[in-house]
Amino acid sequence: MDWNAILEFARGTFFQVALLVFVAGMVYRLARILLLGWKPNRVTAKGSRLGGVGMSFLKGAIIWPFIPWVKNTASRNPVIYIAGGIFHFGLFTVILLGTAHMLVWKSLLGFGWPTLPLPIVDWLSAIAIAAMIGLFINRLINPVLKLISGPAEWLNLLIVFLPMVTGYIMTHHLFFRYEVLFSLHMLAVDVLLIWIPLSRISHFMFYFFSKAIHGAEFGKRAVTP
Amino acid sequence: MKTQEAINTFVKETGGWVAAQLEACTRCGMCAEACHFYQATGNPEYAPVWKLELLRRAYEQRFTISGKARLALGIDKPITDADLTHWSTLLYEACTLCNKCSMVCPMGIDIGPLLHNVRSALSEAEVVPLELMAAVNKQVTEGSPLGVTDSVWDDRMEWVADEWEVELPIDVKGADMLVVFSSIEIMKFPENISAIAKILNKAGEKWTLSRQGREVVNFGFYEGSEKRTKLFMQRVFDAAKALGVKRVLVTECGHAYDALRWTAANIMDVPAGLEVIHIAGLIGDYVRSGRIKLKPGAYDNDGTITFHDACKIQRRGGHIKEPREVLNILAPHAFKEMTPNKEEAICCGGGGGVIAIKAADPQRYAVFQLKIDQMKKVGAKTVAMTCSNCRLQFTDSVKHFNVDVKIAGLSQMVADALED
Repeated sequence: MDWNAILEFARGTFFQVALLVFVAGMVYRLARILLLGWKPNRVTAKGSRLGGVGMSFLKGAIIWPFIPWVKNTASRNPVIYIAGGIFHFGLFTVILLGTAHMLVWKSLLGFGWPTLPLPIVDWLSAIAIAAMIGLFINRLINPVLKLISGPAEWLNLLIVFLPMVTGYIMTHHLFFRYEVLFSLHMLAVDVLLIWIPLSRISHFMFYFFSKAIHGAEFGKRAVTP
Repeated sequence: MKTQEAINTFVKETGGWVAAQLEACTRCGMCAEACHFYQATGNPEYAPVWKLELLRRAYEQRFTISGKARLALGIDKPITDADLTHWSTLLYEACTLCNKCSMVCPMGIDIGPLLHNVRSALSEAEVVPLELMAAVNKQVTEGSPLGVTDSVWDDRMEWVADEWEVELPIDVKGADMLVVFSSIEIMKFPENISAIAKILNKAGEKWTLSRQGREVVNFGFYEGSEKRTKLFMQRVFDAAKALGVKRVLVTECGHAYDALRWTAANIMDVPAGLEVIHIAGLIGDYVRSGRIKLKPGAYDNDGTITFHDACKIQRRGGHIKEPREVLNILAPHAFKEMTPNKEEAICCGGGGGVIAIKAADPQRYAVFQLKIDQMKKVGAKTVAMTCSNCRLQFTDSVKHFNVDVKIAGLSQMVADALED
């Protein structure tokens, strides 16, 4: 098999198509929500809606386990809290501050930024992968998660897992030739990009809606969201 | 069964704000651990996210490409009669719409109102538990879910006025404030009526009761029927209009406050300039402004007093500070907080119509054990609250478990400690 040609395709045409699907898909998802209609809220507020929204986002950002309002939630859902937190933190640090990834951003955006040393990025990837496995096992055994997980939930885990694992193996030059691993990594990334608008991985966009709605509703009632 | 009507209702209610929140859900399941029904029983079906399942399916199968595809491929199931019957037990018998779940959702989804939407669809499909529906129908025909007809109301008010020697103005035109009690207070806690009357009289309030708008409880709101929710609120608003009052005072009833104060304006015309307030907030205002004076430390010698936050008056009503200010005057040393409290408080387990449904008794009592644990931890001898529905649940459950705790309405405590 000509892996160089596959690599060329995976990081060239296919990547561009995937990126286009991702952007167009997310725009479609956004438009669908906006066009469904929004009822004006005619209830006289007791507190500040805007203040509530601000507080809601602030609370969403401050998630350290010693914070009073986080403590209870964290201790009742330790696996999701810790593994979920580490997974998000690890993944985004690597995507944004790994040197190889920054170069991809640079080619897309036209400017770059300082990155983290490889050993740190490497450890973060390993921890993020471990966290992901933790989340997978938790979904397998937790009765609530078993009940609410359909094929899409399992696919989400798999499709996010593949780019992470191929990327990790690639930087360590394990098992296969470099261009094979690079191709697999890029193919996995392309699939992920296409999958995001079709799935709940798109929650990063709707997060801003739900957090704002929650904050406004609580702010309206003069209650801390 | 009217399955299609339920689906239509789901679709009708799915505005952008509902859809955006459904889309934001990552199916992490953290809301389960916030639900007192799940905590108490461990039944995974009580997870709030699972209670929303039908709303999600209806939305996705109607509006989204992937939802339509999954339906066509048989991965997602259409909503059936059996589903509606099953979800009726989850929504009415194991949910008080207390909205605690929204406090832990990492996406900040305001789950409570979405659960209310599910109830609306179930009510359109006519799968509301019989006992709850009987109470709703009673309120439609007799004006009260507990059978307080015109003549019962008249007798009851006359008796309260005599028994506690308190003045109860009825149908006074030109009064400033219309006071509307709940049937629970009228039938089970009549001392609340005299207590609130005493407070209002002491503060020199120009208030009145109304024979037309005599029921604040809104069983249509429990049911989730917009039509009947409006009907019951209309009676109160009509009375307010007829008497020309500026304010409507909701007494110790939680759901009614949520309906009249936070929902009415969005689903019907509220008379212009009419303000809806709650007794918990009003007492706070009176105390702050000095219109009533309380005996400091009046309850400091009767053992530890704690305060139970009602979901609709504190977390969803905003009257979190006032009761605490009052208790810190009445019992500065004896007042101790349970944990968690305030907007994070654990719900009593009887609200949202749950207490009216016999089949819900096992989980209702199971939930109350969480409250017992909380009360025991602070060593409470008395627990104060501002909602009669909570109070009904506490009174009944304390008896059921044989717990030695005194249940007190805050208005009652205030009325008994008024400085002359």
